[in-house]
Amino acid sequence: MLIVAPLAITWVAAVALALLDGRRRWVGWLAVAALVAATAALGVLTVAVVDGEDVEQVVAGGWPAGVGIVLRADALGVVFALLSLVVVLAALTHEVASGVRTRGFPALVLFLSTGLTGLFLTGDVFNFYVFFELAMISGYVLSAYGGEARHYGAAFVFAVVNLLGSFVFLIAVAALYHVTGTLEMAVVGERMTAVDPETSILIAVGVFLAFGVKLGLFPFHFWLPAVYVGASPAVAAILSGALANIGAYGLLRFGGELLTQELALGATVVIVIGSASVVYGALQALSRRDAGEVLAYSAIGQAGYVLIALGVGGPVGYAAAVVYAIVNSLNKALLFLAAPLRGWLIGAAFAVGAFSVAGVPPTAGFFGKLELFRAGIDAESAALVALLFLGGALSFVYMFQIYQYRYWRNERRTDPSPAVLRGVALALAALVVAMGVWPEPLLLAGREAAQSLGGGQ
Amino acid sequence: MTLLFALAVAVLFGSGAYLLLKPDLFRIVVGIVLVANAANLTLIASGLSRGRSPILPFGGETPSDPLVQAMTVTAIVIGMAVTALLLALAYRVYTTHDTVDLDELSHAEALREKDLEREEIEV
Repeated sequence: MLIVAPLAITWVAAVALALLDGRRRWVGWLAVAALVAATAALGVLTVAVVDGEDVEQVVAGGWPAGVGIVLRADALGVVFALLSLVVVLAALTHEVASGVRTRGFPALVLFLSTGLTGLFLTGDVFNFYVFFELAMISGYVLSAYGGEARHYGAAFVFAVVNLLGSFVFLIAVAALYHVTGTLEMAVVGERMTAVDPETSILIAVGVFLAFGVKLGLFPFHFWLPAVYVGASPAVAAILSGALANIGAYGLLRFGGELLTQELALGATVVIVIGSASVVYGALQALSRRDAGEVLAYSAIGQAGYVLIALGVGGPVGYAAAVVYAIVNSLNKALLFLAAPLRGWLIGAAFAVGAFSVAGVPPTAGFFGKLELFRAGIDAESAALVALLFLGGALSFVYMFQIYQYRYWRNERRTDPSPAVLRGVALALAALVVAMGVWPEPLLLAGREAAQSLGGGQ
Repeated sequence: MTLLFALAVAVLFGSGAYLLLKPDLFRIVVGIVLVANAANLTLIASGLSRGRSPILPFGGETPSDPLVQAMTVTAIVIGMAVTALLLALAYRVYTTHDTVDLDELSHAEALREKDLEREEIEV
């Protein structure tokens, strides 16, 4: 029943806190406490799943297997769930410590965590959609957080574009049900192999479109910079560090487990779109000076790397995609949370994030890039390796540019930020460095997750 | 029957997509509602089967597929919640900007950015 714990804790806490005024300190810290408990439960579950290699499964409502809705925890799901909750926890702590501005904020963050945990741990395609909407709707409301006029326009565009993606995904789910007659992911994957490719490729395109929008890939990215720029740092960290994981996870789960043949068929297209994202994101980021804007365009580029690894496929490609998604999400959370702060060691924390994006040891980003290079060599493509190298070099330049612009310029002295805020950023930076110094757990998580997709056989 | 549903979905999705391309925020909301209902119809159509209403006891007759109906009801509820949220956001945009026209909004945004740039140069 360990699998139900993180879901139940966040859900109950979210409903309870929705009735209270979130601007009060103690309500905010209560939300942090609930999230800590859920993260701890998920941590125990992750260790059990990754170590023991057994998949925990619960059928809701006591129905026999095959009838009821399935919750299951495999390596890929728990790794993404744990990662997302850690990022959300950091962002929530940051915001509570600096003062929540609207009454619904803590409850919304908890609803978002419920949605995220649920969608990573569900084994049912339609349930995936429901949890996904729960997380996204909280995300739409959060993107308007801040109360300034320009947020509302950006939030509206964000919501409309992503809703269109969601409904295309829903149509793809309906089509999946129509051709396979089931909603259980494991069974859908088996039965899809017998489906006529002319039908299945259409479904695959729908799914790809939906997650491409979530992830902010190159042709679907236009909403992304407007939302990230000017959003409060905690919201930007949640959107790019946790909510964007839906796109990476969805592409891996649906491409790697449910629609494997279709992914193999469209591998070239996937790699080309990924490469376009990498180049476009890097070049746009290079021409910006505002930290928020650079990070927003960098997010587009980093999403491209995940897509390239997915296109390469196989155990090496999937493992690279998972490792890179983990590293990228931590980097983004760290950079967004550290960027507005001032004071002792904050420059160092930001530099750790910048080096990690560029892939310089001893940060976790080094191993993300290393896995990508392995995937590129595995695909025996010199062009891909060259592109990865170019992308890495460009990201080094633009990250260093904002570092220099923010910390080396003579500017008016400002008071250092509160200690708790700096503590959160430093803890994330320490995590990124620790993963770079001792990468075994990170690489193991990637391998296990790739194996749980069936790419390991 | 399937063809009829397919045509209805196509018309709904097409009109929704057309409205989504308009600059007026409320037309965009209506567009999203139409697209949402196109998805709902697709869900219903994905399990078209004739039979008794699926409530126990069945009495020997085969029931129709209950799953698609459960899914569609869920999707309708989600669609309604989303519509309410979008309308609230559109109203907030209206009260803060005095316009519901996306072109005017982006024009105001461009002006604001220009101001920011000027400030930066002065600093």
